[in-house]
Amino acid sequence: MTPSLPSQLAKFLPIGSLIPPPGLEDYAVDGVMPQAAALAYNREDTAEVVRWAAAQGVSVFPRGGGTQVALGNVPAEVGLALDVRGQDRLLDYQPDDLTVTVEGGISLGQLQRELAPGGKFLPLEAPLAETSTVGGILAANTTGPLRFSHGQPRDWLIGISVVGGDGVETRAGGKVVKNVTGYDLNKLYAGSLGTLGIIVEATFKLAPIPAEMATVLASFSSLQEGIVAGGGLTGTAFAPNGVQVLDGQAAHRLQLEEGQEILRQAGAGSALAIAFLAGSPRGVKRRVDETARLLGQWGALDVTVFQESESQSVLESLADLSWSDETKPYLSIRVTAPPSAVAAVAAQCLEASSPGMAPGVIADPGYGMVQLFWWAEPVSEWVDDSLILETLLRVRRVARKAGGQAVVEQCPLSLKKQIDVWGGQPEAIEIMRRLKRKFDPAGILNPGRFVGGI
Amino acid sequence: MPTEQFIQQLKAIVGEAHVVSHPEDLVVFEYDGSVAKAMPETVVLPESTEQVRQVLGLAYEEGVSVVGRGSGTGLSGGAIAATGGLQIAFTRMNRILGLDRENRTAMVEPGVINLDLDNYARKSGLRYAPDPSSQRACTMGGNVAENAGGPHCLAYGTTTNHVLGLEVALEDGSIINLGSPSEQPVNATSGYDLRGVFLGSEGTFGVATRIVVRLLPLPERVKTFLGIFPDVESACTSVSAIIGHGIVPAALELIDSVVIKAVQNVTDLGYPDNAGAVLLVEVEGLEEEVEEIGAQVEAALWETGAFQVRAAESAQERVALWAGRKGALGALGSLAPNYYLADGVVPRTQLAAAHRQVAHISQEYKLTVANVSHAGDGNLHPCLLFNEREPGALQRVAEAGAEVMKACVDLGGALTGEHGVGLEKKEQMPLVFSDDDLKAMLRVREAFAPLNRLNPEKVFPGGFAYQPTAHRAGAGMFI
Repeated sequence: MTPSLPSQLAKFLPIGSLIPPPGLEDYAVDGVMPQAAALAYNREDTAEVVRWAAAQGVSVFPRGGGTQVALGNVPAEVGLALDVRGQDRLLDYQPDDLTVTVEGGISLGQLQRELAPGGKFLPLEAPLAETSTVGGILAANTTGPLRFSHGQPRDWLIGISVVGGDGVETRAGGKVVKNVTGYDLNKLYAGSLGTLGIIVEATFKLAPIPAEMATVLASFSSLQEGIVAGGGLTGTAFAPNGVQVLDGQAAHRLQLEEGQEILRQAGAGSALAIAFLAGSPRGVKRRVDETARLLGQWGALDVTVFQESESQSVLESLADLSWSDETKPYLSIRVTAPPSAVAAVAAQCLEASSPGMAPGVIADPGYGMVQLFWWAEPVSEWVDDSLILETLLRVRRVARKAGGQAVVEQCPLSLKKQIDVWGGQPEAIEIMRRLKRKFDPAGILNPGRFVGGI
Repeated sequence: MPTEQFIQQLKAIVGEAHVVSHPEDLVVFEYDGSVAKAMPETVVLPESTEQVRQVLGLAYEEGVSVVGRGSGTGLSGGAIAATGGLQIAFTRMNRILGLDRENRTAMVEPGVINLDLDNYARKSGLRYAPDPSSQRACTMGGNVAENAGGPHCLAYGTTTNHVLGLEVALEDGSIINLGSPSEQPVNATSGYDLRGVFLGSEGTFGVATRIVVRLLPLPERVKTFLGIFPDVESACTSVSAIIGHGIVPAALELIDSVVIKAVQNVTDLGYPDNAGAVLLVEVEGLEEEVEEIGAQVEAALWETGAFQVRAAESAQERVALWAGRKGALGALGSLAPNYYLADGVVPRTQLAAAHRQVAHISQEYKLTVANVSHAGDGNLHPCLLFNEREPGALQRVAEAGAEVMKACVDLGGALTGEHGVGLEKKEQMPLVFSDDDLKAMLRVREAFAPLNRLNPEKVFPGGFAYQPTAHRAGAGMFI
């Protein structure tokens, strides 16, 4: 009889690395329990585990903070969950070079705290920053409310080390902000959902912490008006760092006292546009003035300005909105669309929803994204999977028609088993499959979760 | 040599006039901006994606290697037909296919000149940010292949940060979309970021046939400062001080005394005789920001030892301040018949140390060096001056260039900041990457181009990878 996975692992992993069986539940992926779970405290252990797994044909599910573990299709089985949170060191911070090198398991919150004394930050606003690990954010390519100006995590990544599916650690990029030495594999690993390698080290370029920050909140009588106005800001010379437009339902979940107040005054069916501004002191003042003036001109019913600390808290609540335990929806879909189509796509998505299940909406008219959230109560009792599935299919059609995509981020497990959360295969799937075979010949890294069954 | 039948088939695809096969006509396709040269056996100038598809399909069947070419301004030998074979010149695919003002994007063919796109965008109050120094001549296809940079990449990033989608032709001629190359592109697509990894793949994965780029709104105000320093050392201190203050200017450029002398030889820009280095700092944004940040920049320039500071706001005055920087390479002709342009990159704080090393190396090799640096990025371009007619000069320059690369790597940098590896730096790749690292990169090339028929002999050190290329050129490549 072949020894069990835990007893095989115990032969080469340091004592205390194995998670005892009662803890395995915490490492379940879409309800599938792993056969074993282990902590990898350093890159050498990570590589050794992967080499062993490749030889044994055991699947490995790398795990950071687990905030995005629901992203991806339901795996057929889970061999080993490999927790890398012990690899949380900041290895090299050069404030004057605007670069930092970290291990993959450090949380975004911890990283930002360590960067702050040097006056720099990593411009990513991933949800649940205290829990999300840098490696996980990169793997899932998670973006936040300022994605319009800050872009995606891959845009800040300048160097990376990964343990590939063969258990060999390799490196790409470097520690310099401008570099074309060899192929840009940073782009390949970022957003690969752990299917090509486990990220053990990452080097980022950084930005100076802006001198000041402010937020302009404006209520509109309809979501459409809010999106058009918010989108209008992004084409100006004083474009904000990001604009998010929330419908009443989403704004209600945000729990902003002032926001609630302006919305209450605005009335039913109303929307809240939130513009985030940053820069030098006089620059921010001017941006606030121009933004408030333009939003007023474009139909805002009421405008409120938040200064520094309140702005930070709005930003965090928005980033966390669909991920924190208190406000997690049971279904959420992220739709990408050209910026000019965001208003129409949002309207069509609302129309596409089955009766009784109107979603909350957060639109990002600068970047081109519409997020749809279905919060459980009060409809959960009678909304069944077939109604949700119909809604999903209609939303997918809306996205496709606009040239975009609809990815299901959160979903009841019963439904998830019936769908492809990515919404079909990308055009270049053949090259992607070839890449997967080359980087992970044994097919053991996060199998079955990514696009096209990768 | 290509068969007559192959040439006839090419002519059937693109038309009689757009196939070049006579040696005397091929000479102009032998060079790029680097010191390498090699003669392609045939050059074809298609005018559409469909023609590119057919040309590549034919070359694939015939086992002929293919290299793409824009304007041939590349500095690492990227467009050199190292194994002869077929060269596809994109000169005729030079249409701007559309500009979407609302989404701030443009769709172009690969032969569009970088500056033409920028000028076109400016008519709509927008701009294309990456501005390689060769922007008057270089093409967007070449920019994509090399992930081109430029002075304004300090604030806005390189080409990869501005390309949303690509239509590319693979080695067998199949056409595939990467990212979102549509009239109204979207920002994120699911699956691996093949768009991102294609950028900077130096023509070894495929050739771009259509490019969709992001455009940016024009800033409200731009102000340029020029600080004159006694030496490079103090100018580098100034760079660190500016970045250390939390300022990321739109551009931060440095020229040294040799460049200043060359520029003064050509036109009197009024630089004092004792100018050891000139720093050019551009600040842009809202009126208020430009004033506030501009004042900080000016103060930093004085504090770090500038003995003269000039400022300009009008377009005309700014052009005058930029004249020294933009005219730098052209002016070097007043000092020597040839120069070799290196492309080292180091962490910004090592910039002064890198310049010291470069000075040391050039002394050792008895070469005059002129420095033009994208100082804010830590990207330095030492120009090693020489006369190619002098026996052994080219060899000495190549050796000194390799030393410069090694020095940059030793300072924590890399081989190339924006010019690419190409032929020029491929033998130095092991200075930066292990065999395992290079193998990982090679896997990506194999996934895109399993037969390695596209731009063979580039990026990887000779003998590193098995090269299944059947067709070899009569004409060799030499550096």
